[in-house]
Amino acid sequence: MSSVLTEDLGPRGQRRVQIANWISLIVIVALIAFVISRIAATGNFAPELYEQFTDFDEGWTQFVIAGLGNTIKAALIAMVFATVIGFILALARIAKNPVSRVLARVYIDVFRSIPLLLLILFGFFGIQQFFDISQLTGLVIGLTLYNSAVLAEIFRAGILSLSSGQSEAAYSLGMTYWQAMQLVILPQAVRRMVPAIVAQLATLTKDTSLGFVIGYEEALRRAGALAQAPPSNQLQAFVFAGILYFIVIFALSRIARRLEVRSRKRYGAAKLEGGAGLEDIDALGEEADEDELAEREQEPAVSA
Amino acid sequence: MNPITFLIDNWDLYWPGFVRLFQAANLAFVFAMIVGVIIASFRVSPIPPLQRFAAFYVTIFRNTPLLIIFFLFFFGLPKLGFTFTPFTSTVIVMSLYTGAYLSETVRSGINSVDTGQAEAARAIGLKFSEVLSDVVIPQALRTVVGPIGNLYIANAKNTVIGTTIGLFVETTAAQRLANSTGLPIAAYAAAAIFFVVWLLIAAQVFTSIEQRVAIKR
Repeated sequence: MSSVLTEDLGPRGQRRVQIANWISLIVIVALIAFVISRIAATGNFAPELYEQFTDFDEGWTQFVIAGLGNTIKAALIAMVFATVIGFILALARIAKNPVSRVLARVYIDVFRSIPLLLLILFGFFGIQQFFDISQLTGLVIGLTLYNSAVLAEIFRAGILSLSSGQSEAAYSLGMTYWQAMQLVILPQAVRRMVPAIVAQLATLTKDTSLGFVIGYEEALRRAGALAQAPPSNQLQAFVFAGILYFIVIFALSRIARRLEVRSRKRYGAAKLEGGAGLEDIDALGEEADEDELAEREQEPAVSA
Repeated sequence: MNPITFLIDNWDLYWPGFVRLFQAANLAFVFAMIVGVIIASFRVSPIPPLQRFAAFYVTIFRNTPLLIIFFLFFFGLPKLGFTFTPFTSTVIVMSLYTGAYLSETVRSGINSVDTGQAEAARAIGLKFSEVLSDVVIPQALRTVVGPIGNLYIANAKNTVIGTTIGLFVETTAAQRLANSTGLPIAAYAAAAIFFVVWLLIAAQVFTSIEQRVAIKR
């Protein structure tokens, strides 16, 4: 118990915590019981509503393998494009040339403040005016426009977080701007930003579900299509799609958190400037703070 | 066609959508603050079941796509006998979702205050409520203004997803106009103008608040 607000409790405080413990447990159990009773009362536990998800021959190939496969495919393609474009944008944003700086800044600010849903609609229906593109391409364009802007800010923060002594030392060795960038700045900056990049990629995967609105056949749309068929089980299908997405996203955000804690041990806390679209990265920093706190607690207090 | 003239020509359709969106987003953000503070206080409380509940809540909401939460709420809950209008659904879902993020921000803000501050406050005899309101919260707020501003912007953008469950926002207007006029680029760009203006102003406001409350060193 090492929140700022509480200290070690005396006997009366401990008794109160005990009572609060029981009350909150009872309330939580009552809440769960209520939900279960609602599900039972409305007949949503009927086994035929779940058959599609245990049918490994048809249900799984149509829904899980194909749907989740499409989700991952779109996410991977968008990740590659967003990372590459974001990297170039970050370099343009900090370049000496004022024109490239302004252009990169406008791109980043504009695309970070437009909702992703709008960008995906734009990427699909807008570009369809000129070229015959698939839903996958439209989704990837939308995701790339948005995430490249966000990733550019992450890369930029990484570069700026390095001490200026690094580049000064490189210049005084006689390196040119590009040599210093390539050999000294970028290797350190990118390594430092890996956790934030992974966290953003988790967000990108989460946002792949928006492909639904342009008819991309990802896990959610497949689930919806499945629910349309006779046993009308939208509730179960969406819960199942949610679990599928959760597994992928949770795994990625866990990896990001591990990496963040590890890189903090190595390089110290590189605090990122947040900004629009960086909410998951803010949260990542906060989680790592908590992990550090928990670790410190586990160490026996010798000095006292 | 130029998106600005397009916007002016179709103002009657865009403006009500924008107003609806503005209402939903801001209402949701107010409720999200309440949710966030409640969940954060669960998280820092000394009561294990509440801590677990808060951690579970945050993990679920942070790692599930928002669109799925919307669908579960709007298409799933009626199967259990609960039905809400699109506007109510959007406000509730957004306040639960943004609340999960806000709770983390609030909690880390509280934890960012040095333990010695609260200890000193207790040592001079302040009550728990005084420790909280006079010492911890004023200091915690400073570190939290920036992240809260980011969450306001994220919340505003995410509220647009309400269009998928039938809330009439300006994106819905853009979708209809894109279909009826055959000019999707102008239609969507016009909808985007609202965001760029709204969120740039919001970002400015939050930056100036941040500067005002910043500790001068």
